[in-house]
Amino acid sequence: MPSPRSQRAVIVLLGALGSAVFLYLAARRLDFAAVAATWKTARPLPWVAFAVVCYVAGQLVRGLRLRVLVRRETALPWLTATNIVVIGYASNNVFPARLGELVRAGVLVERTGMPFGEALTITFIERLLDGMAILVVLVGAAAFSLHADTIDQVAKLAAVIFGGALLVVVVGVFVPNVLLGAASRLTAPLGAKWRDRALRITTHIINGGACLRDPRTALAVSLLSLVVWALEASMFVCVLPAFGIALRFPLGALAMSVTNLGILVPSTPGYIGPFHYFCQQTLMTQGIPSTQALAYAVLVHLAFYVPVTAWGAAAILRYGVEVGRTVAAARAARTAPASKTVDGVPVHFIAHVEPAHGAAGPGELMVALAEAFLPPCEPRAAREVAAFMEGQIAALPPSLRTMFHLGMTFFRFAVRVRHVSSFCGMPIERRRAVVDAWAFGRIALLRQLFRPVRSLAVLAYYERPEVVRALAPADSRPRLAVVGGK
Amino acid sequence: MSTPASAERVDVLVIGSGAGGAVTALELASAGRGVCVLEEGARHQLAQYGAGSLEAMERLYRRRGMTPITGPVPIGYVEGACLGGSTEINSGFWHRTPREVLLRYESQFELQDASPEALAPHFDWAEKRLHVSLRGRAWPKSTAVFSRGIEAMGWSGQEVPRAASGCQDSNTCATGCPKGAKQGMSRAILPDAERAGARILTGCRARMLLTSKRRVTGVLAEIEREPGVREMIRIDADHVFVCAGPTETPALLRRSGIKYHVGETLRIHPMLKVVARFPERIDAHESVLPLIQVKEFWPEVSLGGGFFTPGHLAMMLSDNWLTTRGEMASFRNMAAYYVAVRGTGDGHVRPSRVGDATTHLRYDLSEEDHINLSHGLARLATLLLAAGAEEVFPTVYGIPTIRKELDAVRWLDERLPRTGLSLTTVHAFSTCPIGERQDRCAADSFGKVFRWENLHVNDASMLPDSPGVNPQGTVMALARRNALRFKDTAS
Repeated sequence: MPSPRSQRAVIVLLGALGSAVFLYLAARRLDFAAVAATWKTARPLPWVAFAVVCYVAGQLVRGLRLRVLVRRETALPWLTATNIVVIGYASNNVFPARLGELVRAGVLVERTGMPFGEALTITFIERLLDGMAILVVLVGAAAFSLHADTIDQVAKLAAVIFGGALLVVVVGVFVPNVLLGAASRLTAPLGAKWRDRALRITTHIINGGACLRDPRTALAVSLLSLVVWALEASMFVCVLPAFGIALRFPLGALAMSVTNLGILVPSTPGYIGPFHYFCQQTLMTQGIPSTQALAYAVLVHLAFYVPVTAWGAAAILRYGVEVGRTVAAARAARTAPASKTVDGVPVHFIAHVEPAHGAAGPGELMVALAEAFLPPCEPRAAREVAAFMEGQIAALPPSLRTMFHLGMTFFRFAVRVRHVSSFCGMPIERRRAVVDAWAFGRIALLRQLFRPVRSLAVLAYYERPEVVRALAPADSRPRLAVVGGK
Repeated sequence: MSTPASAERVDVLVIGSGAGGAVTALELASAGRGVCVLEEGARHQLAQYGAGSLEAMERLYRRRGMTPITGPVPIGYVEGACLGGSTEINSGFWHRTPREVLLRYESQFELQDASPEALAPHFDWAEKRLHVSLRGRAWPKSTAVFSRGIEAMGWSGQEVPRAASGCQDSNTCATGCPKGAKQGMSRAILPDAERAGARILTGCRARMLLTSKRRVTGVLAEIEREPGVREMIRIDADHVFVCAGPTETPALLRRSGIKYHVGETLRIHPMLKVVARFPERIDAHESVLPLIQVKEFWPEVSLGGGFFTPGHLAMMLSDNWLTTRGEMASFRNMAAYYVAVRGTGDGHVRPSRVGDATTHLRYDLSEEDHINLSHGLARLATLLLAAGAEEVFPTVYGIPTIRKELDAVRWLDERLPRTGLSLTTVHAFSTCPIGERQDRCAADSFGKVFRWENLHVNDASMLPDSPGVNPQGTVMALARRNALRFKDTAS
């Protein structure tokens, strides 16, 4: 097996080779005098400044997305999350073979204390979301652009790659036990050491993907990903007028998406070569001359490369992170599981598990439902009852919980359509009438939908000591009545 | 033969600390085996018991009591998830397995060495340990009025012995007995098991059995040693007893790829509750639940009394809340009773494929169940009216009250509306049936799982079929028999 040093040398060489090939492809048959002339007539300002603003905004949204992805694990400040993302991008601009992704995961470990494998999974999920969002942008942009076979092929290849990866993530996220079971069974013949390793990695993947089990989080990060890549497309769009190319969003979006899919191939740090080649080729398919297209690609690459690298370097300096130390921390997180004793029982540590999360406070709907089921009561009592209901509903098995939430979404929608008012915004008497009609009506399915909340509301309310006291005042309460007596 | 745990391995790993797991742990630890018990729930002191229903649901019940059984008629189901399992939250009612049931086990499942005579020493042992006895003093009012009804009807009924000598009528059976009267496993069995050397890890949930060829090598488990800090651990073991209860035992086995007749045959006792309002004060919320059961219609139908608090009363009335909510003011004159039928429907248990490690339960109420529930309601309502009840409120949507005998007996000829039934159960079993018939059973007569060298089941999941009575006694007797057999035969 080759040593780590020779492995690194191979990676660097492969990257350099990739870059050289793509640079050659981009520059062959090029009239360099024409390129120079194009540069002379270029008007970079203010367009490059606009592009940088778009790119920086995109990084901020990426930070927000990372914050959402890790919020089950830790409350990461927005700026810190953005800095982590930027450090990853900057490192990719400096290190070969996209090692920036590892650095980014390492910084995430250092900033949050989460296991390396989990951090890497989150990074992977981010990249997967990016891939899917880029595909969406590509398909959208292609619909408004000239047809080109090359772009079709790139889109198909990307769809296969990201679709496959998405399938793995969906399995890990939604059927974790299947993944855990498969890891256990497949590695059982290799012995306890390798099985533990496999289980640890699988647990980290499951933990990392757990955030996507919440439909709201999944939707939020998907939408944020689209915003990120819309901003990145805007960056490409902004640079177009610098070379006298018409300001057309589909053209910039097409260049952005094909270029970003193209730079998945191995290259030198900063994607020099593939970036320019794919950007140039995309523009050429839309009728832009090759010299103008290459000049554009060079300028976009600078706008893409310089600010984020500088920002990343500053962030690294600010956090005092040495890449070597981060890698060491990551390695430490991957050390073999330790044997230990828990209350006298020999156990083998595998991994930290994502902590269980209690239900958040009662939502507006639950409070509104509680008030509708209960007799007039103090707002505090209604809120406490609603909090109990929320906690109990959260404890339902996931499939039933999802059905309940879908049912309640339908209920709110139907109420809004029927009464031209939101259920939660209705006066209490009207709300009661609506709930009575649904929860005690003739349709069994609707009664079943309301049965859990109805039962939980009255249980929680009538278990309250002050309610029981009000029903049976203390002075009228005789001692336990028994028949006979000993 | 004593086989203490090695430095790296556990000798006998018992998963679950309920009626089956606790007895297994005690017997094997007493025999010198190195026993480790994994319990998903927490260990509670007596002072923490007896809190309100809401707090108890969070602390002591699996998924806070939210484990419904799905099917054409959804059925509410609860079980314990704490040290001692469901024995901490049940009524403490004690039954020996009826002779007829054991004979049916033998004829249908070829269950060996489980005759009434063979099990008698085990019942004796358990009854002595749990101080099983009759009340021995005056009945609380909710029992007395029920007795009055039984007498008026001329039916056979009996006070059910309980594992709760010295019960102080604190009405906390379902929330953990703070007086220490009820002999749950955490009080009656597990302390002795620990004294005999058993180690107990609480807050430790088994996720998956680790297997190699035909042996279980250990378990993958999650443990919470500090609040909010969970770790995945592996525990290696030479022998594994899965005693995680009727729903979690099959779920764990199936998650681990062990599926042969596992989780295919969920049996339950579907229950329909009713509330009766009497002219006199009952104050059922301040006394132990009714202690008598009607056996006139056994084994198909049993009638008895249920746990009662104002909150539970409201839940029972809530099916017809628009017409019954005004009755809450009379809660001191009310008590809760039930019709329980020996379920004959088909059900199954499956680990949830989607999401976290939850379990999906399904039971299809059979036509026979439906008929028995209708008949049971007719008889229970008749009994309660005969006992002097002014009104009976069944937990059936569309049938808010029964005031006259004529209204009650109609259900002998008619069927209750299926879509209106609010059924519950606290008895589930038979998800890993034992017996020699490999075409029907998951494990042999002594709980050793077929095709596995060192894997056993020893809890309510092993009952071959519905026992028709509270299952704790049957589970403890069979579990002890199996543990002793293992002790004698395992090398």
